[in-house]
Amino acid sequence: MRNLYLAIPLLLLFGCGQEAAAPTGSGAEGTSDASTAPSDELVTATDTHLVANPPTYPNEKLPDGLVWVTNDTDPVYASPEAKRGGTMHIYMQGFPLTLRQYGPDSNSDDFAYYYKSALNASLVDLQPNTLNFVPSLATHWAFGADGKTVYYKLNPNARWSDGEPVTADDYVFGREFRLSKYLLDPYGQNYFTNIVVNVKKYDDYTISVEGATAKPKNEMLYQYSVSPIARHFYKLDDNFVENYNWRIAPVTGPYEISTVEKGRYIELKRIKNWWGDDLKYNKNRYNVDTIRLDVIRDDTVAFEYFLKGQIDKFLFNTNPARWHEKARGEIFDKGYAGKIEFYNDVPREARGLWLNTDDPLLSDKNVRYGIAYAINMDKVLSTVFRNDYERLQSPYQGYYWGYSDPTIRARPFDLAKANKYFDDAGWTQRGPDGIRVKNGQRLSVSISYGTDEHSPWLIVLREEAKKAGLELNLQLLDPAAWGNQVQQKKFQIVVLTLSTGLTPSYWQAYHSDNAHKPQTNNLTNTDDPELDKLITEYEAATTLERRVELSHEIQHIIHDICAFIPLYTIPSIRETFWRWMKLPPEHGVRTSGDLFNPLDTAIFWIDEQEKEETLAAMKSGKTFPPINIVDKTWHVE
Amino acid sequence: MALIQLSPQTIKQWRRFRTIKRGYYSLVVLIALLALSCISELLVSNRAIVVKYEGQYYFPTYSAFLPGRTFGLDYDYETNYRELETHFDTERDAAEAAGKAPPDNWLLLPIVPYSAYETDFQSDAFPPYAPSLGDKHFLGTDVTGRDILARLVYGFRLAMAFSLILLACNYLIGVALGCAMGFWGGVFDLLFQRLIEVWSNVPFLYVIMIISSVVVPNFWTLIIAMVIFGWMGMTWYMRTATYKEKAREYVAAAQALGASQLRIVFRHILPNTIAIIVTFIPFSIASGVTALTALDYLGFGLPPPTPSWGELLGEGTANLQSPWIVTSVVAAMTLVLLMVAFIGEAIREAFDPKQFTFYE
Repeated sequence: MRNLYLAIPLLLLFGCGQEAAAPTGSGAEGTSDASTAPSDELVTATDTHLVANPPTYPNEKLPDGLVWVTNDTDPVYASPEAKRGGTMHIYMQGFPLTLRQYGPDSNSDDFAYYYKSALNASLVDLQPNTLNFVPSLATHWAFGADGKTVYYKLNPNARWSDGEPVTADDYVFGREFRLSKYLLDPYGQNYFTNIVVNVKKYDDYTISVEGATAKPKNEMLYQYSVSPIARHFYKLDDNFVENYNWRIAPVTGPYEISTVEKGRYIELKRIKNWWGDDLKYNKNRYNVDTIRLDVIRDDTVAFEYFLKGQIDKFLFNTNPARWHEKARGEIFDKGYAGKIEFYNDVPREARGLWLNTDDPLLSDKNVRYGIAYAINMDKVLSTVFRNDYERLQSPYQGYYWGYSDPTIRARPFDLAKANKYFDDAGWTQRGPDGIRVKNGQRLSVSISYGTDEHSPWLIVLREEAKKAGLELNLQLLDPAAWGNQVQQKKFQIVVLTLSTGLTPSYWQAYHSDNAHKPQTNNLTNTDDPELDKLITEYEAATTLERRVELSHEIQHIIHDICAFIPLYTIPSIRETFWRWMKLPPEHGVRTSGDLFNPLDTAIFWIDEQEKEETLAAMKSGKTFPPINIVDKTWHVE
Repeated sequence: MALIQLSPQTIKQWRRFRTIKRGYYSLVVLIALLALSCISELLVSNRAIVVKYEGQYYFPTYSAFLPGRTFGLDYDYETNYRELETHFDTERDAAEAAGKAPPDNWLLLPIVPYSAYETDFQSDAFPPYAPSLGDKHFLGTDVTGRDILARLVYGFRLAMAFSLILLACNYLIGVALGCAMGFWGGVFDLLFQRLIEVWSNVPFLYVIMIISSVVVPNFWTLIIAMVIFGWMGMTWYMRTATYKEKAREYVAAAQALGASQLRIVFRHILPNTIAIIVTFIPFSIASGVTALTALDYLGFGLPPPTPSWGELLGEGTANLQSPWIVTSVVAAMTLVLLMVAFIGEAIREAFDPKQFTFYE
């Protein structure tokens, strides 16, 4: 299973800050609510053969001269001390609208985001520390002479959770399935049209995936890693979307859905004798036997559940004040529960202020520079964020394989420079309230944002910007209205987080193809012929060296345009966990997201004996040494 | 106009009102608070009231902003007067230590030297800060380090202004339409009755939510939205009162003398229904304040960083470990609403023709 951070696809996905729901292009917006789900019955039948004669496909001829490679030399990263067993209690904020993995409403809730897609294995996995690929559903892979095709030898032992073998036909069917008009899945349509153009079968256990463009090898393995679809399970017709809402599909991963109580909980069970258990890099992972996912709609309430031991871990992905003020008390002092801060090393999300260059005021480069120098992020970091977060330096920070140019630094708060740029732009006079004026117009810009969580630090920025004679009008909108404003690009400045992929994708965010029109990711309406040329060249480049070189050039131009003002990045994962939740000595891996996500790298385990000990100790009043772990192994300064 | 001339009846009612002590004193206190809130820049502000610098006097409170360079500081943005005070002090101490005549520079800060917007961070701790006399945060600060007293004072001014303007608009429409319905009666009355019935059934809160999801509400759009859905209340009472008064002999007499309809309404009927209007005013003020607070609390009110009681209430309940936030705002709210209720009660009693009725 690919890591959570890397599994975020390159689709049009906006994240507004670290926690708020992201409006997506295809999925329904809003929270899941069991009452809105169709009333059809949950199908839990073990017989998944809903299709009498599943399709098979002809064999093609395998080209000669393929060099098959595999990888079993990278170190393993799970701990041999791990113990199998136990039930883990966690929560999701809402109940999914459907159990289908594709199609309408399938990608808009907690369950989909963290767990649903992770129920399936992928062709190859990333070794999360070395970032080399290792076998999973495929045992070997090879690259075609055309530079855009990957060949895979499939693991003949791979089984669907219903016992059926996973064969080449499932992959070829997978493409057909995702392209099907019955699926109503624009993301799949796009993926299998513009990114992957063909999937071919050579024998039952050999396939190839042909991409649209030539790419460096690593990126092909990552981006052209298609998923098999159980062809004996899916019948495509007009009623597909409704029929499969509550059917439990066969999966290839270590867990399957075992119990579903609509609106209340979902239970996942470890598959006995899972085919993947024999793989080197899966050993000692996925240690929990049962995962119980309860619906708890409110984070604050969920934390109360945690304090009572009714859920086993709690991820603090919100503001630092909460981590410092709430994650303390008796259970931590007495060592019944622990705290961990784990610094990871992943491509950083582009969390910043996006300036709309189509706005008459912001089309002036000097004004944009002035604003950038009037944003006092350092003060925010040292006060509101309690020195826990770090300044984001560029919209493309922390990418692997050298894609990010580390010499690009965010513009610091510098009143002298801000004043100079505003003066150069002709905003030389100050009005009676200290805000600059020009021809009767005030130097006042609106910042729109979609969650109240941003207000505290925006208030600080607003007060500081006044010193440069700049007024920032805070425009807090309700999330739907905010999303709409972003899609229509009717903002001056917007606070927004653009999610990352494995490698930078400049076309969507900076190419003029996407400027001056709604519903694209070129939020700043950047329109620069030189940049266009470089981006086109970057998209076509096939060697890593050339791509990295172009990538650096592009990043410098983006930095010079100054339509993105980097805000902050969260360098660590912060979690509280009960004492019986055990982590290996390394705690996590380079790409760790939630350390206790049972479907992610999942190298933790539950120690049942310690659970009993802890519960007994809580009764008797016995204490343990407090657990406060700060792991900076992967911290990038 | 007759509305303003004090009739013996009004004087009698006023005397009666004064005898009801808690209502009377509540009115005095509330008017005093309102008056003070009009000059709150002199009491609660980060701008000094008066600065004497190199022989010249400055009054920054109501003037245009004065950049730091005015007072020999090294920046162009608004002077930080609290820092300026310590700057003057150190200058004086330095001069005294050197045996020179100290410069005659001084300034006078308001009692609460913070504005409602300013974030004040201390180097050794993170906000919210507890109440402290030393820091002059008399009620502490909120989670972004803004002074709670300052936000309460400016929030009070805003809420009262909002409530009074809302009241004026609502009553203007409500009284005018109610009077017209009662006076003309017939089809006009019937039509508006039905219209009001239908209009009253529009769920007001949802409409406000929808509006604020489309536009960022400001002071005036909120007032307009609330007037559109709030004017109906007064019409029913005015309509009934007008019907009642219209049937009286003095109206018939005025008509017989050839008085115009306008004259009858304004000179004869309205003054006789004034008791109803006046009795309702305090309760309308209270409901205006609570409505704005509720909307701000729910996040559909005025946008941040406007000082508002509702926003403080929301922040306070989310940070119960800092009890001074929620205590301050709840106490302030309770006090104001209690005073308004006392005034309302006293007015009702003063206008009651039955002087010796006792409700048990």
